[in-house]
Amino acid sequence: MPLKILLIDTDADRARALGEKLSESGFAEILRAPAGPDLAETVERTRPDLVIIDMALPDRDALEDIRAVSAAHPIVMFAGSDDPAFAEEAIAAGVCSYNLSGVALQDVKPIMASAIALFRRYRRVEDELAAAKAMLEERRLIERAKAILMQGRKMTEPEAYRWLQKKAMDENRKLAQVVAEFVERHDADSAASRTERKRP
Amino acid sequence: MSDGVPLLAARKAAAPRMRIGLLRLTDSAPVIAAHEFGFFADEGLEVELVVEPSWANIADKLAFGFFDAAVIVPPLAFAVQLGMRGAAQPLLIPYAISAGGNTITLSRSLAQETKERGARDGLSTVEALAACLRAQSTTLGIVHAYSTHNLLLRYWLATAGIEAGRDVRLVVVPPASAVEALATGQIAGFCAGAPWGEVARRAGAGTTIATSRDIWRNAPEKALAVRARWAEEQPDALTGALRALLRASKFCDDPENAAYTAALLSRRKYLDVDPHAILAGLPGGTTADKGCVFFRGATTFPWRSQGLWFLSEMRRWGLIDESVDLRKLAERVYRPDLYRAAVAPLGEPAPTLDWKREGAHDAPWAVEAAPEPIVLPADRFCDGVVFDPDAISPPAKPIMSGLPHN
Repeated sequence: MPLKILLIDTDADRARALGEKLSESGFAEILRAPAGPDLAETVERTRPDLVIIDMALPDRDALEDIRAVSAAHPIVMFAGSDDPAFAEEAIAAGVCSYNLSGVALQDVKPIMASAIALFRRYRRVEDELAAAKAMLEERRLIERAKAILMQGRKMTEPEAYRWLQKKAMDENRKLAQVVAEFVERHDADSAASRTERKRP
Repeated sequence: MSDGVPLLAARKAAAPRMRIGLLRLTDSAPVIAAHEFGFFADEGLEVELVVEPSWANIADKLAFGFFDAAVIVPPLAFAVQLGMRGAAQPLLIPYAISAGGNTITLSRSLAQETKERGARDGLSTVEALAACLRAQSTTLGIVHAYSTHNLLLRYWLATAGIEAGRDVRLVVVPPASAVEALATGQIAGFCAGAPWGEVARRAGAGTTIATSRDIWRNAPEKALAVRARWAEEQPDALTGALRALLRASKFCDDPENAAYTAALLSRRKYLDVDPHAILAGLPGGTTADKGCVFFRGATTFPWRSQGLWFLSEMRRWGLIDESVDLRKLAERVYRPDLYRAAVAPLGEPAPTLDWKREGAHDAPWAVEAAPEPIVLPADRFCDGVVFDPDAISPPAKPIMSGLPHN
């Protein structure tokens, strides 16, 4: 009999990808539900065996109170199993499971392994995107700082870059931090002097 | 190579690390202040604060060692201790974070109806609400099954003969979503911590008809739960953390600092809400007499009798197994001895007893403490019942079936 799995995810793409992956096996029937105050009701109506939920959603708390479906409390994250490392991986990936019908751990594990892998991959993409953005911003600030130095202190471009590098080394801080602060201070100073100039 | 370890790096590696989980709530203030003002750093601690979206995340991350400590509702700490909702993890509560601050906030129409009924029939607020609940089927939101909110709301409604599940439906709604759920009519009211009642009022979605103190004056609210293993491995770090928190609790309790605290908490990485909504519930804010208390009246002292009150209410509503010895459990988790050990060398007063009768005082009273007595505020329950910790007897058959088998 296929397992009925309810997916609750903020990321529609990720939920679709996970749904497809799990359906491919043929052992799972996939349902999807939006987060929100009706979540507990959805669970009670659809009676899934397993709920897989994004840990970034506050709605997890609602799932903790569902007793109508399983006689006892739903089992959070393989509680009571002798494999804490597996639960730790899931938490680190940001995904959590509720076992509502006492499905055997060996049947839950491959399903959660797929979810963990997918959440990791999406997180990696997000992290990479954030890193790329940060790098672009750092470049932009370095260019600004160099321009300020070249204009204000009559430095050449290599001189300006070396000056910034030395400053970072002397202060034992990252170049990005030093440059960001330098540009910020310059902008604040020039804003202040503009106001002063306006005064008679 | 071996002699090349820079002194700075060596010192840094030696600094004990402490990861603390918290939620977007006003009573996270002392922990945020201790971190932002460098009080933890002054004690040689390297602290990382992690803001979580759910109590479930707090519980799981404590249970699996992702957090060393958390700002928590005490009933949930007991649930984690016993493994009642997921993996078990031994926890200690060596410090209480706050008192009061919860609001019972209703949709404007239900609040209006309650008010009118009360005025017409000469009923108290809770009696009037009870009459409304009997007249129509109603859904109210709480934040977690193992929350102070669930216990306080049930206690209050029960004084007017309302039983949750029978006369009113309680659903779990995260506080940040409760305002929207109230506005769209999915729930008719909620019991949640500050600042969410005020946020609902400002959004025109709700009206607060009662607060923690209308149910239990000076009701204990959040506590600091620490993983017992972490505390055993680094007792000095724990002492340092409690001292840093005490400084922060005093700061946050001072009405003069309210605006400053509100601005700090409103930052996007913490509560991410209007600072004015936060300010209202802080000591010195516009609803301060009904809001959070952080220090006054030995608020930070972890009274075992208060832990036991939570446990006995959990039992009353079937949230904890009959076989658990509640008094022993309160004793194991609540650790006033650790509190005293941390604050006594600073000359800070701490109560000398671990237990007191809860709800026995209509007016401020002095409790025995060293080096000098402390004045505690009135602590009456709404029904006038006094909770005597000595009246809680151990279970007839001491089988710990609430624990996971392994």
